[in-house]
Amino acid sequence: MSYHYNEAFENPDYHNSETLESGRRKASQMNSMFRQNPYDSSPYDSYTDHDGREQRQSYSVDIPMATMQPGLEVSQSAKRWGTPNANPYGNTHINHSFEYEPEFTYTPPSTLSTVDGPFARRSSDASEASIVQRRNRQRADSVFTTSSDFDRTDANAAAYNENKESQEEKIIRNLASMTTRERIKAIQKMPKTMKEKREIRNKVLMEKTRKSVSYSTEIHCCTQCMYKIALSYRRFRNGLSELFQSLQLWQKTLKIIGGKFGTSVLSYFVFLTWLLTFNIFSFLVNFSFVTIPQFIAAGSNNLSFTGLELLTGAGYFQQTVLYYGFYTNSTITKIENSTSYDMQLAYIFTIGIYFVICFFSLVYSMAKSFRNNFVNPQTYSGNAGKLLCIWDFNITNEKAVRLKQKNLSTQIKEALSEGKSEDLNLSLKQRMVHIAIHLAAWIFSLGTTAVCCTCVYYLSINNLKLFMKGDGTELENQAATLVLPIVVSLLNLLTPFVFSLLELLEKFQYPRNQIYVTITRNVILKMSIIGILCYYWLNIVATSATECWETLVGQDIYRLVVVDFLFCLLGSFFGEFIRRIIGTKCLKNLGVPEFDIARNVLGLIYVQTLTWIGIFFSPLLPAIQIIFFFIIFYVKKVSLMMNCQPPRKVWRASQMTTLFIFLLFFPSFTGVLSVVAITIWRLNPSEKCGPFRGLSSIFDAVSRWIDVLTNYPRSAWVVWIYHNLIESVHFFFILTVIIIIITYLYWQIIEGRKIMVRLLHEQIINEGKDKMFLLEKLRALQASTRDTPARKGASQQFSTTSSLYQPPGQLDQQRHLSMPNYLERPLEKNKSSFSAKPPYTADFPETSGFLPGDPQRQQPSTKPGVSEALALAMRARQQAEREMEDEDEEDFRS
Amino acid sequence: MGNKQTIFTDEQLDAYQDCTFFTRKEILRLHGRYHEMAPNVVPMDYTKDPDVKLPMQLIINMPELKENPFRERIVESFSEDGEGNLSFNDFVDMFSVLSEMAPRELKAIYAFKIYDFNTDNFICKADLENTLNKLTREELTAEESVLVCEKVIEEADMDGDGKLGFSDFENMISKAPDFLR
Repeated sequence: MSYHYNEAFENPDYHNSETLESGRRKASQMNSMFRQNPYDSSPYDSYTDHDGREQRQSYSVDIPMATMQPGLEVSQSAKRWGTPNANPYGNTHINHSFEYEPEFTYTPPSTLSTVDGPFARRSSDASEASIVQRRNRQRADSVFTTSSDFDRTDANAAAYNENKESQEEKIIRNLASMTTRERIKAIQKMPKTMKEKREIRNKVLMEKTRKSVSYSTEIHCCTQCMYKIALSYRRFRNGLSELFQSLQLWQKTLKIIGGKFGTSVLSYFVFLTWLLTFNIFSFLVNFSFVTIPQFIAAGSNNLSFTGLELLTGAGYFQQTVLYYGFYTNSTITKIENSTSYDMQLAYIFTIGIYFVICFFSLVYSMAKSFRNNFVNPQTYSGNAGKLLCIWDFNITNEKAVRLKQKNLSTQIKEALSEGKSEDLNLSLKQRMVHIAIHLAAWIFSLGTTAVCCTCVYYLSINNLKLFMKGDGTELENQAATLVLPIVVSLLNLLTPFVFSLLELLEKFQYPRNQIYVTITRNVILKMSIIGILCYYWLNIVATSATECWETLVGQDIYRLVVVDFLFCLLGSFFGEFIRRIIGTKCLKNLGVPEFDIARNVLGLIYVQTLTWIGIFFSPLLPAIQIIFFFIIFYVKKVSLMMNCQPPRKVWRASQMTTLFIFLLFFPSFTGVLSVVAITIWRLNPSEKCGPFRGLSSIFDAVSRWIDVLTNYPRSAWVVWIYHNLIESVHFFFILTVIIIIITYLYWQIIEGRKIMVRLLHEQIINEGKDKMFLLEKLRALQASTRDTPARKGASQQFSTTSSLYQPPGQLDQQRHLSMPNYLERPLEKNKSSFSAKPPYTADFPETSGFLPGDPQRQQPSTKPGVSEALALAMRARQQAEREMEDEDEEDFRS
Repeated sequence: MGNKQTIFTDEQLDAYQDCTFFTRKEILRLHGRYHEMAPNVVPMDYTKDPDVKLPMQLIINMPELKENPFRERIVESFSEDGEGNLSFNDFVDMFSVLSEMAPRELKAIYAFKIYDFNTDNFICKADLENTLNKLTREELTAEESVLVCEKVIEEADMDGDGKLGFSDFENMISKAPDFLR
């Protein structure tokens, strides 16, 4: 839209026009002046003379533009303002700067638009913001006040101050009615200086105490006491939150990493700590409800400890709390005749409740992440986002800053060159080749995955046979069990490299697509390997003639986790350390390796999936995982600091984090849930070990417990819930239907909102065009009104130039006509038709498409003072626009 | 405890806590940092709200800001006089807004100020060029930067005034969730 604005300037006639020449000069003056008009704090102190300062103290008014005009205009405006009722709207209007601005028609667009500048548009606290706005303007403007304006500024000043005070009072009253917590939040969010915030806070507090005192003078002492208690409670709570903050793991380390490598790498570490807290929680739950009771009932362990067990998890560990098989099926009673502890129920409920909590916390964090990061799914692929949003304010390291700046400039250059070559369309043949390459890459990657899976499957069956036969020495047997996890880890480590070679083959247009495709392939690989393993565990191991298959599965998982951990360490050693040595010493053009966030995060997701599966078979697996995550954190940190450089590509950290949480939820956690569900409902637990020995399925423990409970009338509700809700098909059927209906409703609402957003977006664009058009109009009119009859010639010249947007005619006619013309201009609903022709072409649509109740409709179109009428219209327009935009913003938010 | 009392009164600390996203300890630490920069000028006793301001030169040499290409603008945006002289209040305010706890909306307001180099309430082409130079260490040619700036305005300018108002800016960064985390 800069088009419209510029055209006026580029129009040679416009430039030649004498009248506009002066207007233009003024406009540029204003601009230079307005450069000094800041929001909160202005640098005017530096350049205003002593005189200006004094004025600022004594006269606080906003009469910005008038002062800059030559004497003629000032006297005109003074005349107009001689009558106190010049402004028919009184002082109720919000836009102060507008209100007392007789010559606002001179303001260049920038000044006009300051009315709806950044602060006034804040829909949430518009009232507060408008105060800020006004205060700023007041301060800035008063500087420019010259002596000729004094007579009329006094009255305005009083009115202005009054209005300001009432506004502030309103805020204070609002704040006072809030709860303490809300109030603090509101104050914290105010975009004001600390001093003002503190003032407001004090006033609010005074207001509050005044109120409470007036409510109860007789129990004054009591209120004070209450107040003190509340105060000390708040201090206590703040102290607690401080304590919690200090408990947060590695806060400082994370800051350092963020400062050195930016948000993207930081997201990996944040994810790691997040998983760590997950595991700590699950360890605490399992340890306290399952393991500790077991310790009490535990028998002695008569297996010897050799050390190899740490790697294989077999041998000595078989007879410890680490595995399912060791847990007893009896009820534990320490003291006779006291309440007993049923191990079966404890086991099943602990793990069940843990999974439910996991489920909800995952859903919660996923939803939150989605809400924050996918508010507006359409992304700026282009430069706007790059330029203004790309700077990572986290970075504080000098080298990182240099690197980032360099990357940015190359990126922008690339984008520019791409933009140039974007137009050339690919021929059909080229496109076919592209598609063929993609297809081949996909076939190759899926084929690799299939091969990996078969490999794992036969190996695992072989593994089981070896275990069952049990020939050879103990050591050989144990070593043989390690083959499977080592192969699995190797596949997990090497196949992604093959996949990344594929990236070189397929040239994606956007790097983003490349990242997504690579991630998808890796996820498919990892999840199918885990899937095959689960099939092996649940269908082959569980039905085999082993003594205790659950422990066997637990051991397998233990080995997988341990070996994967070792490979992770090796991976960061070879993949990063050796790679750096090669990159810096041998092959200089390779350079320092980048930290591959996607690969590392996927590794974490993989291990976490294993841990979740393993929780049932080996309740203390989270403890092992905690130790590993700790070590991984430090190893990765050191490796990162020593070997790596920040990734060169733009990494949409928050969207990627969302994606990773989603991945953790969708294939990973849901898969785990189904595996655990099959184990609990379908499979036969081992006959001779574990808490569920002798039952036909694990869930039988619960049904038996319910059977017992039916004998106790007091716990009838539990039985009722069990029979009518948990076991009932109807209940779940109804629940599902309700959820589907709700989902559908929400979906429809979202669709509606989308349409709304689109419409509002169009409206904003149209409003902008309206604004520009009005400003053009205004400038032209202003020029013509200033023309004295003596300078008819000049005005004649102008009116010919103005034929661009008005049919040439008498000046007076033009004055009167132009008003209705622009007022009648319909609010264009159709964007395309609008942009097809500039708004000021001669043929205006005749229809009046105004919305009913639009304030402008009520404007008398033939008001004597054209500029005053225009002022009213403009103001009404501005207000309408602002209202609409407020609405719009709210919509955007919600 | 005794140490606390000599720097701020409880009432002051409460006020700071209510107005910023910091805890008591952090406010005291911030005061420590502030004091550290100019031990001769900044008093240890802040109970009477002394009117002390530190010049921008001192502030932008803090390790947190030293390497930031926008450091001057950041400090200027937060100083009450617009010149970059920060009182302790401004100082606390600055770190409060820059901290992780501050909500996006608040950050957006100040980010807008930071990018608005000529403080005319709009991000215009000149501002964008300035930003671009800071971001790329002036490695782009003049033509390239002009082209980029035009594109940016074209993309983000919704109301069509040829420059980015705050609403344009806000709308834009709502689509870039990584911004200012």
